Amino acid sequence: MRYEVLIGERTVQVEMAADGGVLVDDRAVALETTPLDAGAWTMRLDGMSHEVHLLSRDPLRLWVDGHEVRAGVTDERALVARHTGGRAASGRHELRAPMPGLVKGVHVSEGDEVRPGTPLATLEAMKMENELRAPAAGRITRVAVSAGTKVEAGALLVVIAAG
Amino acid sequence: MSSVPPLFRSVLIANRGEIAVRVMRTCRDLGIRTVAVFSDADVGAPHVRLADEAYPIGPAAASESYLRADRIIEVAKRTGCDAIHPGYGFLSESADFAESVAAADLVFIGPPAEVQRALGEKTSARRIAREAGVPIAEGTMDPVADEQAAAEVAARVGYPILLKPAGGGGGKGMRVVRGPDELASAWRGATGEATSAFGAPALLVERYLEGARHVEVQLIADQHGAVVALGERDCSIQRRHQKLIEETPGPSVDAQLRGRLVSAATAIAVAAGYVNAGTAEFLVTPDGGFVFLEVNTRLQVEHPVTELVTGLDLVALQLRVAAGERLPFSQREIRSQGAAIECRITAEDAYAEFLPSAGRLGMVRLPAGPGIRVDTGIESGLVVPTEYDPLLAKIVAWGPTRDVAISRLRRALAETVIAGIPTVVPFHQHVLADPDFRAGRYDTSYVARQWHGQTVDLEGTALTAAAVAAVLTQRGRERHAAPADSSAWTQAARADVLR
Repeated sequence: MRYEVLIGERTVQVEMAADGGVLVDDRAVALETTPLDAGAWTMRLDGMSHEVHLLSRDPLRLWVDGHEVRAGVTDERALVARHTGGRAASGRHELRAPMPGLVKGVHVSEGDEVRPGTPLATLEAMKMENELRAPAAGRITRVAVSAGTKVEAGALLVVIAAG
Repeated sequence: MSSVPPLFRSVLIANRGEIAVRVMRTCRDLGIRTVAVFSDADVGAPHVRLADEAYPIGPAAASESYLRADRIIEVAKRTGCDAIHPGYGFLSESADFAESVAAADLVFIGPPAEVQRALGEKTSARRIAREAGVPIAEGTMDPVADEQAAAEVAARVGYPILLKPAGGGGGKGMRVVRGPDELASAWRGATGEATSAFGAPALLVERYLEGARHVEVQLIADQHGAVVALGERDCSIQRRHQKLIEETPGPSVDAQLRGRLVSAATAIAVAAGYVNAGTAEFLVTPDGGFVFLEVNTRLQVEHPVTELVTGLDLVALQLRVAAGERLPFSQREIRSQGAAIECRITAEDAYAEFLPSAGRLGMVRLPAGPGIRVDTGIESGLVVPTEYDPLLAKIVAWGPTRDVAISRLRRALAETVIAGIPTVVPFHQHVLADPDFRAGRYDTSYVARQWHGQTVDLEGTALTAAAVAAVLTQRGRERHAAPADSSAWTQAARADVLR
């Protein structure tokens, strides 16, 4: 199976062959991998020693030799799908609660035009009031909460149609 | 030593997290029994296990547990404690709590209620400072009634202005307003946060000083009138007025400025009749002038940097002066050696505007080695609750010079693994590598100007290792999500990769 892996800004092709070989960017690599625990590895390659930890799955964050990086993995089936029929991202942005908390205020109404950075709602969590801002310009098509609503992480707050 | 009776028999620590652990450690050093209290959210927390005794005081919400003075005092009485240490936050700056503790015939490890009242309320603190001859920022002496009144003050002193809660410290609820168009949103946020943090929406309006550094002086005073200053800390690396990095000595503080800051802090402490540990905070302007901000009437989060350069244990000193002992040194005997820097490791996403994070921690590995001190309240597998302050741990480095301390701290941060929830570790790594920070060139606007979520680029075999780990993770996820889809060759290939 072939995978396209995004590490930070860099794209790497990884192929895991049925015979157990690993190809990175079409080059066979002699990688010695020792799992330490679930989501933790010692990896040795060309004498270089690396330590890798899985920090979180969604989003995929890895710890590599003391540094945190974002990663994304696309397998060949998804790659094929993307090249044949994948649609471009629609012009709809959903603002979701980044963590559980209390909606202290909603500063927009349906129909309002917003710019990137316009405050949409205030979420109180961990003793702080967090101003949640518009990720893109557009028109508010839905306001799903009101002041006083307790929300779980991931709860839909506001929908913006990109303008 | 064994013939000397301990200062107290048992101390109740009315707090949680890293500070409860830190206070208990000194109590143990001094042969004092420790009693922990905990909310339902903290049953498995390290501070509960570390204590000799531990008792539940209510549900997760702080207002029903760690802020319940009545329950805490009841536990202290029932368990035969002779003193209560409040830590920081929660009830530490509540004069009413200090009074109730004293009324229950227990010793409050902190300043007495009347000192808390005089300095805890900002208007009164500003009066004390002004009468002691210490400069204060231009603005209102009393809280303003509404947004309109704030606008009038702003027109008088000029923008930018700072809105700050009259009722408490710690930077909570403070807002900088750069022009009239920002006032409405800032007023809304500041009054809301002031109400939830301090129970009162009252706000003061002050002129905001651009390019200023936040420098504070550590004080310790006994019940016999002695006040000693233990040097300064620069705490200018802040976001939303919450400190992230603190260091001593302040890179911009020369001997002359240090002398003036120490004199000002001491004058305020003497004027207020201060007792126990406290911190006088100042804003230092680029021309070397300064204004008084506030006194924090408690142990400060960043106290370890002072401990590392002075060799003192501030909690031990708090216990000694609370027990009535005299300070064992005079101002002239205080020696400071080397430099110390602290990074606050908070459960906040450095890549999402420091939004708080919470949830179950995966693997936690904290650093050690030469010159490194770690104060922590977390462990692998612990759930970080949403109800409390997001501080997880403090990583502190000491070195004979500031450069050595920075090198050690960078090494320590690179050893640190906290899986499961986002933290500010990448932010700290970026700052400690930044030439401006390394040269000591920073002020309170540093984070807003310098941090844009910069990431590190992996090279060579590290990039390969990361890519393969990402694929292994993805395959593990597929196996869990759809076991039927996990063909024999996938298993075989995975096993081979893991060889």
